[in-house]
Amino acid sequence: MTNVIEVSGLTKRYRDVLAVDDVSFDIQKDTIYGLLGRNGAGKTTVMSILTAQNFATTGDVRVFGQNPYENASVLARMCFVRESQKYPDDALPAHAFKTARLFFPNWDQQLAEQLIDDFQLPLKRRIKKLSRGQLSAVGVIIGLASRAEITFFDEPYLGLDAVARQIFYDRLLEDYTKHPRTVILSSHLIDEVANLIERVLVIDRGRILLDEDTDSMRDRAVNVVGDETAVDAFVAGREVIHREKLGRVASVTVLGALGDDDRERLAQAGLDVAPVSLQQLIVRITQHAGSAEPSLNDEGALR
Amino acid sequence: MSRTTNVVRMQLVNRQTFIWIPLIVLGGALVITLAIYAMLGSAGVETAMYGGGAQAPLWYFLVVGIYSLTLTFPFAQAMSVTRREFYLGTVLTAVLASAILAVVFMVGGLVEQATGGWWMNGFFFYLPWIWESGPAAAGVFYFTVAMLFFVIGFWAATVYKRFGSLVLTTTLIGVGILIVVGLFIVGRLNAWAQVFTWFAAQGSLGLALWGILLTAVLAAMSFLTLRRAVP
Repeated sequence: MTNVIEVSGLTKRYRDVLAVDDVSFDIQKDTIYGLLGRNGAGKTTVMSILTAQNFATTGDVRVFGQNPYENASVLARMCFVRESQKYPDDALPAHAFKTARLFFPNWDQQLAEQLIDDFQLPLKRRIKKLSRGQLSAVGVIIGLASRAEITFFDEPYLGLDAVARQIFYDRLLEDYTKHPRTVILSSHLIDEVANLIERVLVIDRGRILLDEDTDSMRDRAVNVVGDETAVDAFVAGREVIHREKLGRVASVTVLGALGDDDRERLAQAGLDVAPVSLQQLIVRITQHAGSAEPSLNDEGALR
Repeated sequence: MSRTTNVVRMQLVNRQTFIWIPLIVLGGALVITLAIYAMLGSAGVETAMYGGGAQAPLWYFLVVGIYSLTLTFPFAQAMSVTRREFYLGTVLTAVLASAILAVVFMVGGLVEQATGGWWMNGFFFYLPWIWESGPAAAGVFYFTVAMLFFVIGFWAATVYKRFGSLVLTTTLIGVGILIVVGLFIVGRLNAWAQVFTWFAAQGSLGLALWGILLTAVLAAMSFLTLRRAVP
């Protein structure tokens, strides 16, 4: 696999906040990434540094092997529309798309028109008068139709209803299949995008907690459900990341794949095994990491 | 280069900001000024009448300079435009808009000379001290003033974008204090006569050339500030 982005030792410090803390990771070509994490975890900061919209305090970022800062040949191959993107004051969606067509060499006008239709976006209304969902649709359309080799979507679904979100996921997958490229999708709605993303990057308090294929993630943890004492006996010596109890029934989430002998033991003890959804797993791992090491900033207090 | 000219097209998305409002301000000021001249004329004023209403669209270029950064820079970043491309394209747009305005002023001044001040000895575009070196010099003068106002607005907006409102306010107050100190020193040296003589000696063309120098300095400072600005 070739890497299109290589990040090493990336740190971003604002006056009193450490937004990104010595992060290193690679992004592979033609893969859909889920960049997952809580509000303020550093997702947008990382994406804006990768696209040279923001600056690293220390560390090195290579995109297509080069420094992206003031590098038109690299930037033209990337597209990053922010969640809170600003547009020129008088701009209509039609203007924004016309401008995007000028700057993105792979722009597909037909796809843009189809998406405008799908999202029922009014082209003749000023962007600043659009609803939150319509504003998100403008960003989604630019992101998809620009067909950039690396496309970032920063919580693209804000204000979009369930139907529009599904349209986005469907169109993304459809177009990705026809024109493979690297997509980095930041999201809170983990289960909604779970089937879309091939690789997961979990970021929490400025650090990468997980960098893994989505498929192997599914085997990472299981829920063991049943009589509390039997469950406790089974999970002894395993890494428990979550525990719930209702009466005498306990449900415990443990890390690690189950072998055949494990399954046999479970069957004998009369315990059930339930899969852990990607969202549950990520929530648990994030909480676990949060409680394991004392947080540096009070903001990170977990509930 | 084509990406830079595309920035011009992106800036001109704000057609209202760049073209229509300045023209409406100019047209409005012209109509009001001429109405006043007509009233004065009917009241029996015979001498030549000059007004300062033509300044209005030039002042508005301050606003244009601010808008072209605050509203369009973040969008340019989303369009994967480098800061250098954005800067060059934006300055080019300002050159075009200032040139159009200068041509309008030149044509207006020539019309006023030909018609003897709208047949009522009232002048809006034609001010003798600006036109003393001819229409071309007057055009250069108006172009420079528009560019200077634009660059001041653009420069202030880049400082705001990069360092925030506290630094911008402090800087503006600092500039104000420097000017006052300058005026004070001139006063203490009893040098006002020399200063006015110098201004008079420069003429409108000379002042325009000094204005171009100041514009270039501010433009260069804006670029250095913009290089590390975050949308």
